[in-house]
Amino acid sequence: MKFSILLKKELKEMLSPTTIITMLLMIIVLILAGKAMSKAVGEIQEDAKTITICDQDQTDFTKAMIDAIDKDENTEVKRVEIKSDDYSKELDDVDCKNVIIIPKGFTEQVAQHKTATVKFAQKMTSIATFSNVNQGSKNALTALEKGIKYTIYAQSNLDQATRDQLEQPIELEEYTVVSDKQDQIASSTVASLMSSQSMFIPIVMFLLIMYTSQMIMNAISTEKLDKTLETLLSSPVSRLSVISAKMISAAIVAALQAAAYMYGMNKMMDGITGGAASDQNVDALKKLGLSLSAGDYVLVGIQMFLTILIVLSISIVLGALAKDAKSAQTLQMPIMMLAMVPYFVTMFIDVKTASPIIKYVTMIIPFTHSFIANQNVMFGDYTTYFIGLAYQFVLLCVCMFLALRIFMSDRIFTLTLGGGKKKSGGLFAKKKPSYDEED
Amino acid sequence: MDVVLDVKGLSKQYKKGVYASEDVTFQVHKGEIFALIGPNGAGKTTTIRMISTLLKATEGDAVVDGHSILTEPEKVRECITYLPDEAGAYKTMRGIEYLRFMASIYAKQKSDIEEFVKRGSDICELGDRLNDKISNYSRGMQRRLLLARAIMSKPSLAILDEPTSGLDIINALEIRRIIKKLAADGMSFLLSSHNMLEIEYVSDRVGIISKGHLLEVGPSRELVAKYGVNNLEEVFEKVVTVH
Ligand SMILES: Nc1ncnc2c1ncn2[C@@H]1O[C@H](COP(=O)(O)OP(=O)(O)OP(=O)(O)O)[C@@H](O)[C@H]1O
Ligand SMILES: [Mg+2]
Repeated sequence: MKFSILLKKELKEMLSPTTIITMLLMIIVLILAGKAMSKAVGEIQEDAKTITICDQDQTDFTKAMIDAIDKDENTEVKRVEIKSDDYSKELDDVDCKNVIIIPKGFTEQVAQHKTATVKFAQKMTSIATFSNVNQGSKNALTALEKGIKYTIYAQSNLDQATRDQLEQPIELEEYTVVSDKQDQIASSTVASLMSSQSMFIPIVMFLLIMYTSQMIMNAISTEKLDKTLETLLSSPVSRLSVISAKMISAAIVAALQAAAYMYGMNKMMDGITGGAASDQNVDALKKLGLSLSAGDYVLVGIQMFLTILIVLSISIVLGALAKDAKSAQTLQMPIMMLAMVPYFVTMFIDVKTASPIIKYVTMIIPFTHSFIANQNVMFGDYTTYFIGLAYQFVLLCVCMFLALRIFMSDRIFTLTLGGGKKKSGGLFAKKKPSYDEED
Repeated sequence: MDVVLDVKGLSKQYKKGVYASEDVTFQVHKGEIFALIGPNGAGKTTTIRMISTLLKATEGDAVVDGHSILTEPEKVRECITYLPDEAGAYKTMRGIEYLRFMASIYAKQKSDIEEFVKRGSDICELGDRLNDKISNYSRGMQRRLLLARAIMSKPSLAILDEPTSGLDIINALEIRRIIKKLAADGMSFLLSSHNMLEIEYVSDRVGIISKGHLLEVGPSRELVAKYGVNNLEEVFEKVVTVH
């Protein structure tokens, strides 16, 4: 009965309106992100269809070429006039993001069987259009090449069959292999479909770690500083029930957060794949095992939950040792570092194939395993997944044990870290606690 | 008279070789107000925290209502309440919620809860303000709430560390009056303070503590007479210089 009273109190405190609002916001942000990305991808595809051309050469050849491009059903030509080299002004005047300029003398170069030059000007408004830029020039080039080919073939006396063959002598049939599965889809397409996911999971994971640790550190350090902890521990409840009520309620809140996050992620992916990728691509991802099944979500969820429990047990100790509110904040540093390293490392490199030093240093950090859990599950690397899980479990037991030991002893009141005259704060505070008393 | 608290040679070392309190021995009887007085850092809080089962004693023992703090701390906690020095309450709760929360922790059966809350609300005299968030309370209001919390469950022994520190005269007087009344009803108090003049009025007996040693124990009037001075402050001065 006493325990349920404590648990209720902790839950009420931790599930404050702020927490609930943050959780809802997270879901909304994820869903919106999915929508925004699907829209962005859609726009890129739309943009790529229209080609803006300025024909400064104005010969029969160039006209025929542009007409040929226009005839292709995949492209649409917008003819504009560019008079000067001031592309900024000219692009504004014609209200275009980019333009292909066929300079004077183009036809002559083609006639002399030289490599002809065309100009391409692209306006960059933000780095977000980066992918857009690449596509623009590539599409322009392909379109022009096609146009030249058409025109040359038309002037030649090649038969239709040869023309068709020359038109597309090779077709690329791309396959992507993921562990034991394969499907006919370009890996670059797969990568771009997956990129949003690999971008968002670490961010949210990082936020979740920071948020959980802050929640429990706040809960425990304010209790200690307000001396409500002393009041509670001198009342007829056991210390074990006080600490376990805190941990369990923090774990419940964290699990809720993780569930909210998973739900948001799922919605986001639905948004992206539903909006931009064709059904064919979505099927391909499924075939390759790159979309998470219900079971996969559970595995990733468990992994994340373990990380959160480790964060909780470390934070509860750090929070309990804080001298004041300010030192409670500095004491969050070690957790932040532990979350930051895997966050950045996994974002830029593949940990598993990295150099041994980077690999093992990153792998020793328990949180790394949660950052790579979804990759492991997706790519079928269950060995790494379960080793990570076991490692985290062992570490969790150690952290829990230490947390309980400190909490059950005098140290909860006598041991302080961070700030003050002892100068043991900062990064190494966690590793070098200053014991005021022997066992 | 019944002995409610029997402290026997209680010592605490935070660091090896440095005693924060050493060989402290005294008794508190039923219905008695006993005050530990001494300057800052004398070891009052340390002694009190050991009796409240928060800190483990390095040496010695204390027995509350027949239960030793060493062997039966859970039983001891059922007999005491402890109001820490400069304590706060849960800022997000309303006053009444706090009383109810603490009442349900101290209650032995369900029916106790409302009884405790009722008594607590009466004692703190906060009226409608009990429905306010504690974060909106003034220091005095919060202290009154906490004091009400500490005595609403009618423990055998209420341990109050500096119960009136930071309060104005009116509030302090009020709290003293409440303590005296409850003691008359049979509740025992262990107080601490470095305001010796105030303690002279409220307590039945005092223990003078300095540098971890309990130097003198007795009713303040007797001590004043023994040392031939005017008040407890002067007694303290003499006691400390003699030892
Ligand atoms: N956690 C701790 N670690 C080490 N020493 C401590 C600790 N807490 C208290 N002390 C030391 O123990 C001694 C007694 O402190 P205590 O808090 O019991 O004094 P006090 O009589 O309550 O003083 P005050 O009137 O200021 O509250 C002091 O010298 C103090 O520095
Ligand atoms: Mg004190």
